[in-house]
Amino acid sequence: MYAWIWRHLPGSGPVRVLAAATAVAVLLAALVLLAFPALDAVLPYADVDVGS
Amino acid sequence: MIVEPALADPRMRRESRRAAVRGLGELVLTLGIVVLLFAGYEVFVTGWTADGAQSAASADLDRTWAAPAGAGAGAVTAPAVGKPALRLHIPGLGPGWARTVLEGVGQDVLASGPGHYPGSALPGTPGNVALAGHRVGHGAPFDGLGELHSCDALVLETRGEWFVYRLLPFPGEVAGWTRSAAARPRCKGIDALGGSYSSTPGREIVPPTAGEVVAPVPRRPGVAPERQLLTLTTCHPRFSARQRLVLHAVLVTTYAKAGHPPQWRPSELDGI
Repeated sequence: MYAWIWRHLPGSGPVRVLAAATAVAVLLAALVLLAFPALDAVLPYADVDVGS
Repeated sequence: MIVEPALADPRMRRESRRAAVRGLGELVLTLGIVVLLFAGYEVFVTGWTADGAQSAASADLDRTWAAPAGAGAGAVTAPAVGKPALRLHIPGLGPGWARTVLEGVGQDVLASGPGHYPGSALPGTPGNVALAGHRVGHGAPFDGLGELHSCDALVLETRGEWFVYRLLPFPGEVAGWTRSAAARPRCKGIDALGGSYSSTPGREIVPPTAGEVVAPVPRRPGVAPERQLLTLTTCHPRFSARQRLVLHAVLVTTYAKAGHPPQWRPSELDGI
């Protein structure tokens, strides 16, 4: 999977490293800013009140 | 029909199978890392955002208190949902432990700090002041509730007053309470409540549906309250929402801020 992605990244050498780093950063941001908050809202251990 | 040479060659076929297994392995490893990242997010990142929101709420409450009291001051009214209502001090959770409590128990409110159940009492009137707070993530204000003991002080601070509550005897302590309490100075005046409060222990574990524990008289909905109680709820066990940990405390002392210098604090906050 990662070898395939690496082969299909544009450029060569440093440009490719930069592209890979950017992709990782974008993925992390999407997880922390979008996916995790959405998941947090539906997971049950956030429930601390009674009677609802 | 022409057989594709790559698939015809057994070596190539083995090679492609190996690539598929490796891809699957990488995928599973990646998912594992994402799950770990989520755990880190829950424990740390939600804490950072909660700390910021709690500081803002705290500053908001200080501003409200510093502003001259408007018409109707002295009347006990809850603020709008999401607005800071009062401050909770629990010396048993560490020196200087204090959190600003906001009105409401929705997830958006609890992300900033403990919340006050709308419709439950406010300090100063007979009834039950009920608060909920996170035990895991989001700053986890109620993380340490499981370590508190009977007779520990829970202090509510309002614009004009300090209300000192103490946790009631825990189940199992009621028998022989008189003797064990006599050995602990902080338990002076604390005893299991009788009458309509006979099923109000200092600590209980209840199912999430047990809304009656935050009733004016716990477990006796509809009964008129005689005492002033404080009830805290959080999830139980930690990292689970299967049950709720509930603490009940009874009002023992009230101090007016008026008779004291601005920086004065009740001695109960020093862990006495």
